[in-house]
Amino acid sequence: MNSDFSFPAFSPSAPDEQPPNDDSLAPTADASSSERQDAERQDPERQDAERRDVPQVRLKGESGRLLLLLPPELDTPSAPNTWAEVCQQLNQRLMSGERFWQPHTPVHLIARDRLLDGRQLQTIADTLAAAQLTLKRIYTSRRQTAVAAAMAGFSVEQQSPLAQFNAPEEGKALVEPLYVQSTVRSGTEIRHPGTVIVLGDVNPGGSIVAEGDVLVWGALRGVAQAGSSGNGRCLIMALRLEPTQIRIADFVARAPEAPEQYQPEVAYVSSGGIRIIRAADFARDRTT
Amino acid sequence: MSRIIVVTSGKGGVGKTTCTANLGMALAQRGHKVAVVDADFGLRNLDLLLGLENRIVYTAVEVLAGECRLEQALVRDKRQPNLVLLPAAQNRTKDSVSPDQMRKLVNALTKVFSYILVDSPAGIEMGFLNAIAPAKEALVVTTPEISAVRDADRIVGLLEANGIRNAHLIINRIKPAMVAQDKMMSVKDVQEILAIPLIGVIPDDEKVIVSTNRGEPLVLAADANQRGLAGQALQNIVRRLEGETVPFLDLTPPADDFLARLRRLFRPTE
Ligand SMILES: Nc1ncnc2c1ncn2[C@@H]1O[C@H](COP(=O)(O)OP(=O)(O)OP(=O)(O)O)[C@@H](O)[C@H]1O
Ligand SMILES: [Mg+2]
Repeated sequence: MNSDFSFPAFSPSAPDEQPPNDDSLAPTADASSSERQDAERQDPERQDAERRDVPQVRLKGESGRLLLLLPPELDTPSAPNTWAEVCQQLNQRLMSGERFWQPHTPVHLIARDRLLDGRQLQTIADTLAAAQLTLKRIYTSRRQTAVAAAMAGFSVEQQSPLAQFNAPEEGKALVEPLYVQSTVRSGTEIRHPGTVIVLGDVNPGGSIVAEGDVLVWGALRGVAQAGSSGNGRCLIMALRLEPTQIRIADFVARAPEAPEQYQPEVAYVSSGGIRIIRAADFARDRTT
Repeated sequence: MSRIIVVTSGKGGVGKTTCTANLGMALAQRGHKVAVVDADFGLRNLDLLLGLENRIVYTAVEVLAGECRLEQALVRDKRQPNLVLLPAAQNRTKDSVSPDQMRKLVNALTKVFSYILVDSPAGIEMGFLNAIAPAKEALVVTTPEISAVRDADRIVGLLEANGIRNAHLIINRIKPAMVAQDKMMSVKDVQEILAIPLIGVIPDDEKVIVSTNRGEPLVLAADANQRGLAGQALQNIVRRLEGETVPFLDLTPPADDFLARLRRLFRPTE
């Protein structure tokens, strides 16, 4: 069944202590290349630990209205959620979701502890309006944001900061899938606490980090990570799987040699490594 | 309605300024009133390529500071009266101008000019943000190299995020012989990644360098031989900009390159 296995794969969990107990853990041919893999593996991994919890802008349907959830303001200097990025993420989410709501659906902005001035609120309202959505109400835990919103003529509700603290994410079910209906280009990183579906290509330099599966209805040429909070049963699938790197849970694999011909493939974790199999065979294995 | 087009790339040295100068000149030759704006503050050289360096008195910075009027800063081209240059300051950094100021400047130009081409600096920082701020359309320039294409891809994403969806691709410095030998990315390879409409393919041609050094845009040359394929490719871009359907130049290497043809013949088709 694993005839299609082509990735050098290994488990990053304490690789030095445990001797490999499976063929798939065997390092690649020469020592220098396996060292390079290690270096590649550990650095991004550490960054990930910091970035893993950084949420992005989210749109969530809830009983006929849309909730627009902004990521919380972070104090760490490396925090990537600058205002420009929030705008960029909002644009991308709107571009990708148009099919999922009707024009003039009311939007409730959940600003949490983010400081927003009148101009920024207006930008959000305008961006929504351009997608034919109406900003109905703003929820915030910051007095300043509430005042700015009221002055700019929005209806606003100030909540106690405590109400904003979401219950700890432990053991939580995944949120609904995120559709990304565009090319994920170099420099763009999409993170989502659920499954990510890309209708387009993921280009080299682009990356997808999903707590659920990653499905690319196009060519996956960048980096994809499924089960980012540790779920090794998550999958990565693409019509054309030619990634820079893929990760599932804690497993990492680099791109295999380019095959003669591309066909839809699935990457999954099995006996301690990432394996790749033709989508047709994968489905057959699962059903028979 | 004037068209405001930014010429941008991400990676440096791929031919933004060369394209801006030539496209601006070619548009002016077709009878349009054209302003080319140098947004590369601190590293300007659009004036050099146009051969107008010695006629600069004021720059955009003096206009913004209210030290002169906009008309005073515009440098008129003697060879082509339809073309003016708004120079950038050489002694200031890219942070001395803001996106809002760029918008104001360019907006003022739209009253008189029907085409405004903005030459963007390399990179994705302030200078780039300034250059794209007023633009409604973009020409993304790349060379057929992995690094240039990667940067161009980033640029297309940033343009989209900033509301510029109308972007066209120019592939510059293609070397047909190298492509035929599989030593260089082909037009198709580049397009497959960038996935935006192609508006021009310019061959690598030393005539471009000669014209750069002379301060005479290639499209100014009187006869077609002097303009070469590169000059013709640039003129074709302008025609496509104006909505004409112009077939792309046949850049396959000359027939005498028998080996290359053989190789092409035997290469597995994708
Ligand atoms: N098609 C071409 N054939 C040969 N040389 C070229 C071609 N296009 C550009 N060049 C040369 O490449 C060099 C860089 O071009 P240019 O200054 O237009 O790039 P740029 O993208 O504006 O650079 P920068 O990022 O520094 O502003 C110049 O010397 C130019 O003559
Ligand atoms: Mg330049």
